[in-house]
Amino acid sequence: MAYVIAQPCVDIKDKACLEECPVDCIYEGPRKLYIQPDECVDCGACEPVCPVEAVFYEDDLPQELSAFRTADREVFDGLGLPGGARGHAPLAADHAVVDAVPAPSTT
Amino acid sequence: MTDIGNGLLQLVPRAEARQSMKDFKSDQEVRWCPGCGDYAILAAVQGFMPELGLARENIVFVSGIGCSSRFPYYMNTYGMHSIHGRAPAIATGLATSRRDLSVWVVTGDGDALSIGGNHLIHALRRNVNLKILLFNNRIYGLTKGQYSPTSEVGKVTKSTPMGSLDAPFNPVSLAIGAEASFVARTIDSDRKHLTEVLRAAAEHPGTALVEIYQNCNIFNDGAFDALKDRQQAEETVIRLEHGQPIRFGAGLGKAVVRDPATGDLAVVTDTDENESRVLVHDAHAASPATAFALSRLADPDTLHRTPIGVFRSVERPVYDTLMADQLDVAHELLGKGDLGALLAGNDTWTVAG
Repeated sequence: MAYVIAQPCVDIKDKACLEECPVDCIYEGPRKLYIQPDECVDCGACEPVCPVEAVFYEDDLPQELSAFRTADREVFDGLGLPGGARGHAPLAADHAVVDAVPAPSTT
Repeated sequence: MTDIGNGLLQLVPRAEARQSMKDFKSDQEVRWCPGCGDYAILAAVQGFMPELGLARENIVFVSGIGCSSRFPYYMNTYGMHSIHGRAPAIATGLATSRRDLSVWVVTGDGDALSIGGNHLIHALRRNVNLKILLFNNRIYGLTKGQYSPTSEVGKVTKSTPMGSLDAPFNPVSLAIGAEASFVARTIDSDRKHLTEVLRAAAEHPGTALVEIYQNCNIFNDGAFDALKDRQQAEETVIRLEHGQPIRFGAGLGKAVVRDPATGDLAVVTDTDENESRVLVHDAHAASPATAFALSRLADPDTLHRTPIGVFRSVERPVYDTLMADQLDVAHELLGKGDLGALLAGNDTWTVAG
């Protein structure tokens, strides 16, 4: 069980949650932030500080955002437990579910 | 799974099936403030427990009063949220009468060092087979932010608006002074180190005291930032490893040596000349003197030069074993006792009214 970061974060990446996370388990991807689910300790510090309300407890994810339930876990496949985001390079690629979100209109 | 060398741990029944972290999570909603360091410690303990491979029914977490003392609710083991400061006393009874249990105490700086100070030191000197996890956040969190026995001098809180006057306890020094056979310190957010220390504590026969620096993000936020910030930590944290020379700082450029003039420990720049003087950490030393000196290296205000790891780990007779042996001898000499007969005996007094 862990917290997950859903669609509202895409192309926003406010990063208020990074400051709050006591175990430094929130990693930056190109378009979204990701919570490493095995490093997350379920403390919930990230959830109330998110200005766009993108952070949900896994079980509380709204139906319309259910595609994001496993994105944070799957994006770390092959990366294992990086052991803390500070000093770790941003993730090279986003999860497919994030790629599928249309880019914001520039007009 | 850990190779359990500790003879006493072998008295505890093994789990029938392989366990996972999930097996140690209870169905209770965890209620600490969002961001509390207790979450990180809980996750580390739940993650470590399967490694021990003990039957959950034979594991007990006993706590006192305080935020940390909610811990037993969240462990899917037996547990008891007991009386303020008295967890070591209750756990002593359990550990001595039921040697088939793995008994853990969860306590905080207020519960263990103020309210229950006496119980703690006597458990340590008796060397009861307990594993005591002391969450030290240097504040009273549950009662909303008064200074604690580990708060730095001059701490401004609601109860000390002009700054506290008390000199703080150093829990590691206190434990070594109380004859503890195992004393370690670790940090809530360093899961790897915390798990290593838990492993060493679990394997130790006798009382193990583990001080865990824990952030209270509401009433004492950032108390241990000097040890957590990556750049600062290089200069502030001294990682103790048994058998290894004690070096720290950027590029391990500093070293701990014994000052020949005073016999005390000192920090010097690590040079070729100093090479032979660098202290090699011996956690198993019979004398507690060097472990105590190491515990005094840290500056209580800035936390600079804070050693973490196992300060002391020595084997000496365990209270539970001595008591069991004594009971065996008594049974041999006098036969099995009869509590009922004792209570209903005729050695009675009548109090005149």
